[in-house]
Amino acid sequence: MEETIIAYRFDRLEETLSQLNKANCAIVAGGTDVMVMHKSRRGVPPKITKPIIFIDHLLELKQVNQNGNDLHIGACCTYSELLRDPLIPMPLKKAIKTIAAPAIRNRGTLGGNICNASPAGDTLPLLYVYNAKLLLRSVNGDRIVPICEFIQGVRRVQREPNEILTEIILPSVLEEGAHVVFEKVGNRNADAIAKVGFAGYIRTKGAVIEDVRFAFGAVGPTMIRSNEIEKKLLGKTIPVTDMDIAKVVAAFDKIIKPIDDQRSTAIYRKTVALNLLRYFLTNSTHIQHI
Amino acid sequence: MNLKNISTSVPKKDHKGKVSGQLAYISDVKVENMVYGVLYRSPIAYGKIKSIQLPDLPEGYEAVGAEHITGPNYVKIIKEDQPIFANEWVNYIGEPILMLVGKDLDILYRLLDEVKMELEEHQAIFTLDEAIKQKSSPGVTMASYEFGESLESISAIEQGACQIIEEEYNTGYQEHVYLEPQGMLGIYKEDEIVVQGSMQCLYYIKNALITALACGDDDVRVVQSPTGGGFGGKEEFPSMMACHVAVAAKAVKKSVMLVFDRSEDMVVTTKRHPAKLKYRTALDKEGNIMSMCVEVFLDGGANVGLSSVVLQRALLNSAGVYKIPHFHAKGYVLKTNTVPNGAFRGFGAPQSFAGIESHIGHLSKRANIDPLDYKRKYLVQQGDPTITKGNFRDPILMEDMIEDLLNASNYKKKKAEFQTFNQQNQRYKKGIGTSLFLHGCGFTGSGERDHIKAKVKLYKSKDNQVSLKISNSDMGQGIFTTLSKIVAKELDLPYEEVLYPYPDTKEVPDSGPTVASRTTMIVGKLLERAAKKLKAQWLTGVEQEVTEDYVHREMIPWDEKTFTGDAYPAYSWGVNFVEVEVDTLTGNVKLEKVYANYEVGKVIDDRVMKGQIDGGLAQGLAYGYLEKMTSKEGRIQQKSITDYGPPTSMDVVTIQSKVFDNPYADGPYGAKGAGELTLIGGAPAVQAAIEDALQTSFQQIPITPEVIIESLWMKEGEEG
Ligand SMILES: Cc1cc2nc3c(=O)[nH]c(=O)nc-3n(C[C@H](O)[C@H](O)[C@H](O)COP(=O)(O)OP(=O)(O)OC[C@H]3O[C@@H](n4cnc5c(N)ncnc54)[C@H](O)[C@@H]3O)c2cc1C
Repeated sequence: MEETIIAYRFDRLEETLSQLNKANCAIVAGGTDVMVMHKSRRGVPPKITKPIIFIDHLLELKQVNQNGNDLHIGACCTYSELLRDPLIPMPLKKAIKTIAAPAIRNRGTLGGNICNASPAGDTLPLLYVYNAKLLLRSVNGDRIVPICEFIQGVRRVQREPNEILTEIILPSVLEEGAHVVFEKVGNRNADAIAKVGFAGYIRTKGAVIEDVRFAFGAVGPTMIRSNEIEKKLLGKTIPVTDMDIAKVVAAFDKIIKPIDDQRSTAIYRKTVALNLLRYFLTNSTHIQHI
Repeated sequence: MNLKNISTSVPKKDHKGKVSGQLAYISDVKVENMVYGVLYRSPIAYGKIKSIQLPDLPEGYEAVGAEHITGPNYVKIIKEDQPIFANEWVNYIGEPILMLVGKDLDILYRLLDEVKMELEEHQAIFTLDEAIKQKSSPGVTMASYEFGESLESISAIEQGACQIIEEEYNTGYQEHVYLEPQGMLGIYKEDEIVVQGSMQCLYYIKNALITALACGDDDVRVVQSPTGGGFGGKEEFPSMMACHVAVAAKAVKKSVMLVFDRSEDMVVTTKRHPAKLKYRTALDKEGNIMSMCVEVFLDGGANVGLSSVVLQRALLNSAGVYKIPHFHAKGYVLKTNTVPNGAFRGFGAPQSFAGIESHIGHLSKRANIDPLDYKRKYLVQQGDPTITKGNFRDPILMEDMIEDLLNASNYKKKKAEFQTFNQQNQRYKKGIGTSLFLHGCGFTGSGERDHIKAKVKLYKSKDNQVSLKISNSDMGQGIFTTLSKIVAKELDLPYEEVLYPYPDTKEVPDSGPTVASRTTMIVGKLLERAAKKLKAQWLTGVEQEVTEDYVHREMIPWDEKTFTGDAYPAYSWGVNFVEVEVDTLTGNVKLEKVYANYEVGKVIDDRVMKGQIDGGLAQGLAYGYLEKMTSKEGRIQQKSITDYGPPTSMDVVTIQSKVFDNPYADGPYGAKGAGELTLIGGAPAVQAAIEDALQTSFQQIPITPEVIIESLWMKEGEEG
């Protein structure tokens, strides 16, 4: 009994979108999540029930452009390509270097990491603190959604079946003056799934905090960010006082609710997440001050 | 290539096939009339099988179980406690119950899901701690030994002691993570069953098959296929798979292939025994050791397998490399309803060395003496008795090896530098740790003489080509190369012209299993002697064959009952220094420098030895801080390499190593064992380094970030 697999690989984004509009398809970019997700036991090919549509080769999705101080990253840029691109901010490159190993980085894409919406997606904490906006395109036109609205839960995103994520927009990321930190905690230095991820962002004017953002990965169903907590620090001067640090840490202590699993413990994840936050608040605000 | 110095590296015999990717492993093999087998396994940890209901099997699909076994239903290892197919009681999750065979794996997996079984579940023992509590219940203690000075005299010494220190130490599972998962093919022929696969011990398998099939010596044949790593994991486990495919092949009259994928392999195959070690040590006023009692508990898992022998080695190494004035040891293998534990590089010694090095390190802190200085006070010397009243009769180079590393690592200066660094850096802390260790080469006691009785054969063809006919497996460790070199050198032949084909029991005598760091020393020596003999009889253009049998050099006879005598003919030695940096925010440990000195008699091939050092030490270091496997209610939790976390090239640093010459009379060119030794010092050195960095003590390995964070957090809690 031979099984038929329908697969599409169009030269242009437009044709791809129109096919997507006709039939619900499984989008494959690098395939590094798709193939794992549909993996069968040994000796049996993966089972993907929907027709497959490849998008990894579409040139329209592989550009990196500067637009004023905004950065536009094509959804199908692979990690290896992004590492070579001079426009990509250093913290994002640092995060990318912690992903998998070279072979997977040659295939895996930024768009795939977002659409896969794993709580342990390593680019996500940074994309959250960069206030990334996502450009989704379909035959009906474009729409732009903030990443925090697009990702709704574990492997749940707000994408219509006929839409493709085409671009990731990082607003004002090329502006000077912000200090951004990324930390991944895994069980080893390559091919590791994050036990905790942390991104911190701070911009000051003189000694006054103008903007501050934090995001935590792998400690909840999706990235944890809180505008409310961040607001408490706006207008404060640096170095942030021990009391303010303690308040922010205590506030996150309440909303970070990690789990025990085969990779780590809830108590470890929480302790480390808060350690990294405390360290960021203590040190980043110092460094800037000096 | 002619060999002037035996240590000079040559290209490995199997280099081309492996580097080009051309070499076919068992899962690449297809033979005529071949079907696949998949195993239906126990879903519960302990219970009785009431009934099994099979789905309707399509044509060409069959079920094979206990009723198809012609011989008795057990895998012959030591005791008869491991069923081939469990048909009454199941003792662990994943225990094989029956096999479905057929052409298409997809259909087989579907059928597996449709098998229904009624079970009567019983209260299982899930952890070593539970087993220790129940160790006097019937069946829980599967083996135990006790030896050393009497407890009365120890207790008299303790009366006069200034202090008695008690410590309890735990070690975790370790998984082999050989690159190639287990695989076995049973080839059906009218007159014989040929079993081919990934393995270390051809004759263990052959003997298991003769028992299971109740057949004659000529009715089964075992052939090793290229083996992608073993580390002990392919010592006894493949015997079970061999029985599965052989019984199935005979039953369905087709060739049957059984190959595990990674997750199945990780969940059901043997692991390193988790252990608990208890120390009770009497100290005088200056902190000197007056006496020591050690208790060792090994988690055997659901059946005894090789665990009793593993326990023996654990006990024989329970005093480490030290001469302890008055010493007593006792050990147990306890049954739990978890996946059976088995052979793993080091065979019980890594647990003991981790424990004793940790304990001695902690004693040195109490005495306020640098750990290395403290350890050196007790270091055994040539002529000293062993803890079993044997003798360290050969020269011991440990002092030279230590001095060399003190210089190479700049130990004293480093310690001072790290102290300053640690005072200044809030987040990162650096530390340096050391380990001293040995490994007894070959089988324990009189095993070679009484059980193995190794025989080797050299065959010379008419065109003067010499082949090694031995039952030992090259599993990547390099014996194709090293043993061929020994024969080539003795015969003055170019190394390339000496052949060492994959062994086949039809062709090769039983030269013993490929385990216990015995192959180079024991089999190598026999080959050296066989080559000498062949050289003396050499007739050009004539087919010739020579054999050699093991000859036992009598020392102080080993008595397994009293645990006295020379446990090993010879010992290999090692010293490791490790520097780490610990991130106190995350508990992550970064290896910064690793130094290693070893003494293995004589190196047969520099590069092969370096392979053993780098691989063994990486595996040993990871055992101490990185690799973490846990079982929850009898279920292994880490089913992928990523979740288990063996080190990648990004985790290990360049290992600066040196090997010291100290030729041993009964080894070829003076060689002793090297394969297991290299693993043993890793974990204790990394523990000592982490303790040095954090100025704290740990009572377990692996010291994972979770353990570190908990300890730092608790310390803070105490202070605050
Ligand atoms: C061995 C290994 C190691 C890994 N290590 C890491 C790691 O360290 N850190 C980490 O974060 N991830 C890791 N991953 C996961 C994976 O590589 C990343 O998530 C990667 O970014 C996925 O990208 P992709 O292009 O391969 O996605 P794909 O597998 O092609 O797609 C993922 C999902 O997104 C959808 N999709 C992809 N692109 C689009 C688009 N443009 N528009 C709409 N939908 C889209 C697909 O339909 C699918 O549902 C690892 C994976 C493997 C196999």
